Amino acid sequence: MTVRLTRRQFLECSATVAVPLRWRLGRASPEVSGAREQLVLDLGPHCSLRESLSGYAAAFEGRALRTDVSSLAPCAVLIVPAAVEIPPAAVRAITACLETGGRVILESGAGFASERDLSRHRGVLRDVFRVHVASPIDLWPEANGSAIPYVDFTWPVAVKVRDFSSVVPLASRAGEIIARVNGLAVGLKRPFGRGSLIVLGSPLGPALWTGDAEARQWLRAALR
Amino acid sequence: MKKSIGDNMIPKDWGLARGLELVKRAGYDGIELWLGDMPWFQMNTSDADVRALRRAVEGAGLVVSNVSTGLHWGSPLSARDPTVRARAARIVERQIETATLLGSDAVLVVAGLVTEEVPYNEVYQRSVEALTPLGDTAQRAGVLIGCENCNAEQRLLMSPREFWQFLNDVNHPAVGIHLDVGNIHDNGFAEQWIEIHGPRITRIHVKDVLRHRGRCGDQSVYTNLLLGDNNWPAIRAALTKVGYDGWLVAEMEARYRYAPDQQFFDTAQAMDRLISGRL
Repeated sequence: MTVRLTRRQFLECSATVAVPLRWRLGRASPEVSGAREQLVLDLGPHCSLRESLSGYAAAFEGRALRTDVSSLAPCAVLIVPAAVEIPPAAVRAITACLETGGRVILESGAGFASERDLSRHRGVLRDVFRVHVASPIDLWPEANGSAIPYVDFTWPVAVKVRDFSSVVPLASRAGEIIARVNGLAVGLKRPFGRGSLIVLGSPLGPALWTGDAEARQWLRAALR
Repeated sequence: MKKSIGDNMIPKDWGLARGLELVKRAGYDGIELWLGDMPWFQMNTSDADVRALRRAVEGAGLVVSNVSTGLHWGSPLSARDPTVRARAARIVERQIETATLLGSDAVLVVAGLVTEEVPYNEVYQRSVEALTPLGDTAQRAGVLIGCENCNAEQRLLMSPREFWQFLNDVNHPAVGIHLDVGNIHDNGFAEQWIEIHGPRITRIHVKDVLRHRGRCGDQSVYTNLLLGDNNWPAIRAALTKVGYDGWLVAEMEARYRYAPDQQFFDTAQAMDRLISGRL
């Protein structure tokens, strides 16, 4: 017995149960496709969650994805998904964006990083961006059967988005806390240069990747 | 149709040779090998030892019907942690490699696991994405991946049409369903799953289920073939309707407390009745 189907059989059968993965890749909204450049930076091996990258890229229908840091001109919006180690060239691109009045969403992937990568990650965020990153916390220890699985964002819109198991608490003297989970600050924004830096200690990209409506709402609002 | 039974049914203290002799004597044509369950077939079992395992199986007058594993319950393809997902994918790859070494063309995979922590939408999508490259690997090896319907335990793909849609989304000729007619519990009827999935069925696990007869009457429990509430005449008719002529693999969750070898004989005889249609 085999699983072979003719193309005709396949089309006939699939037509009867046509529930497409519509939510698979979110559609770009007018809010996230403005005239100024809005880019998603792929850090390659320094991105710890490729599906987070996919989530952000999908929100822009892939047009915004950039892999070559050296060719990046300062842009209006720069999103850096699931960052672990942030190479110097990427740091320069981020700071250039901020210095010229842009907005950067720097999503930490440190919850899934090795000790060595975590140390470098913390060093860059502390030394360059003045953001303190604490050690990763597992929101779902085995004994805990009653966790509330949502990160509460309070800015720019109040939404609940599924947590992603491992988070890094954040702190910054000049920062405003914009997201919490289990009482932990996992999102903050702070002015930097002429721009605004948003750091997420709980990955949002995977929720975008699964088509979470509130995650997309938050992203649209954050980019206004 | 041919009869098989899992090597994990062999009593722990019997050893492989004695177990294979029992399987053959009870009338089975083949044996299902569970990667990670028994000492003779682990992730670190070498290719040479896998070949020796095949020789032992064939020396007992049996063949390997398929390669299964329970390792994905601990390392799911749908895990959030990429390192766990990589481990899960490696398990499937090793199943495929060993299936080839063992002369089989089918592996069983539990494709995803919904938990309180990892929600349904993530599991569905990750499972679909994981199975595409694994399907390519399987196809190159001439092996079929059968995603098992572990319905209630997996908390995923609870209905046959949803499972059908899942396979459509995977859309790979080397990925089908390893149908377990006992796992459907109270959520449907095995014969309807057989009808819907027909040509995509890679293997069939057989066991019976007592619906709502468990403790306090609110739980379904697995039981021996023909003792539970599966509609075996309807299942047999559905197998005929879709032209299934492959392996039936006994997976008895409830083991005999005494005389464990007797369960091999009783199960084989019940499978003979099912295959012959004398129900």
